[in-house]
Amino acid sequence: MLEIKNICAGYGKREITHDISFTVQGGEILTFIGQNGSGKSTLLKTLAGQIPPLSGEMLIDGESVSEMSRNDFAKRVSAMLTDRPRTDMMNCREVIETGRYPYTGTFGLLGDTDKKAVAEAMRLTDTEELADCFFTEISDGQKQRVMLARAVCREPKILLLDEPTSFLDIHYKLTFLDMLDNLRRERNIAVIMSLHETELAEKISDTVMLLKNGKCTGIGKPTELLDRRSLTKHFDISDELYEKYHG
Amino acid sequence: MKKRIILSFALLFALTAVFIVISITAGSADISPDEVIKIIFGGGADETSELILLKIRLPRTFAAALLGGALALSGYMLQTYFHNPIAGPFVLGISSGARLTVAIALILAARGAIVLNSALMAATAFVGALIAMSAVLLMSSRIRSMSLLVVCGVMIGYICTAITDIIVNFADDSDIVNLRGWSVGTFSGFRSESLIVCAIIIFAALTAVFFMSKPISAYQLGESYAVDMGVNIKAVRIAIILLSSLLSGCVAAFAGPVTFVGIAVPFLVKMLFGTAKPLVMIPACFLGGGVFCIVSDIIARTVISPSELGISTVTSVLGAPVVLMIMLRKNKERVRD
Repeated sequence: MLEIKNICAGYGKREITHDISFTVQGGEILTFIGQNGSGKSTLLKTLAGQIPPLSGEMLIDGESVSEMSRNDFAKRVSAMLTDRPRTDMMNCREVIETGRYPYTGTFGLLGDTDKKAVAEAMRLTDTEELADCFFTEISDGQKQRVMLARAVCREPKILLLDEPTSFLDIHYKLTFLDMLDNLRRERNIAVIMSLHETELAEKISDTVMLLKNGKCTGIGKPTELLDRRSLTKHFDISDELYEKYHG
Repeated sequence: MKKRIILSFALLFALTAVFIVISITAGSADISPDEVIKIIFGGGADETSELILLKIRLPRTFAAALLGGALALSGYMLQTYFHNPIAGPFVLGISSGARLTVAIALILAARGAIVLNSALMAATAFVGALIAMSAVLLMSSRIRSMSLLVVCGVMIGYICTAITDIIVNFADDSDIVNLRGWSVGTFSGFRSESLIVCAIIIFAALTAVFFMSKPISAYQLGESYAVDMGVNIKAVRIAIILLSSLLSGCVAAFAGPVTFVGIAVPFLVKMLFGTAKPLVMIPACFLGGGVFCIVSDIIARTVISPSELGISTVTSVLGAPVVLMIMLRKNKERVRD
């Protein structure tokens, strides 16, 4: 469904990730694994249309993204980003409703279909009881769920998430990933994300891609790529260090 | 939630109506509401009263409502653009930029070099506003801190004001008779032609801004979110800059400096309505700015009657405390984070 062909990404003339190619089908989860600065975020931002690719091609259902209107692209791809939204005086329902933007009319008012999609997204992410709370006054874990609901209510084909579980405690980490797992099954959404927790990535992903210094150093089944030997090599960890804390 | 918005709009409309009545009846010559009705619907009113009402009070009240609305709207857009609640046309030096180019045009006109009509004056102000705005934008690409950016805006304002003063000093006395009154700021002395030009520009801009409320709501969340929602960020930014410069330039050209309206009104309106949604804020700011300026104008011409205070004197007294409140609130939020 999503086909990435030789994408080079970066800012201006500075190329950060080089020649990345992969395909993801609906309902699959692809996870980028790599050290800080390996180019995961840059790649995700490029896939999300936040920065234009320096070269390469991105196809959704065989259709080239470069020929799509902004609105059509937004209908298909929705991203959960790391920067916090400015939500002056907005309650959580209003924050979630902004996800419907590509579908609403001239004044951005929500129709019945939009409201239904929002209600359904709130049910799936367990955010119903937060609806009337101010976004600024809920916990980080709750915020992530609200932002997931915002991304999901658009009913996208592709969902992009940049380190969605960072800063969450173990309870929220696990429930969040479980929600993602249900979502891709129920909605057949293709999920592409970056994770730092390799043990969680191994459990949830269909495919993982190892990124190092902006290059893809391996792509395949998590069981094959996330064993101890490749992990220590990929993250530049010595055997003693791994043994001491992780063994 | 919805109820509060309807009630707040009702309140704003009621306030507008009440203060319009007060504004056209109060003054050094008292005109009773009875007389106003007689004058408007015809039927043997006093001739002097009729003249005062139609030639002085009505245009003045209308000007205050219109230009006040324009200022508040312009402030609201600048605050949205810079994600900063204390950005405004005056603070960022945009009004002063407009005043500078208008002063130059007025002097040229007095010397007979150009013929200045209202439309040309508005265009001149727009150019000046854009020049000052470009200077602010140029700096904003280098300055990350929003408070520093505001300080830069204030400096640009001072520079423009200083140049205006120099030019005015070199001009002949006869050239600047017009300029003197205008450099204090006032809603009086509007010719109907200028009022019509202002009305056309301001209502056109208001309509354009209102139709932009959807992309503005996306922009409010932050740039990356707007992109995620499929918004053309560059186009929105350019439109905000052009429209807010047009609005504040128009006010600066015809009423001179009117301070703090652009910052205080959007804040007060947001508190009243309990939302920052552009679809509500845009018409509400316009109405609120109108009320604020009608009230300020009533105070300006009645407190030391028969003499008059400058309009900025009153808007500063009413508006500056609000700005202080905003800054204290912001500070509290930062501490809580």
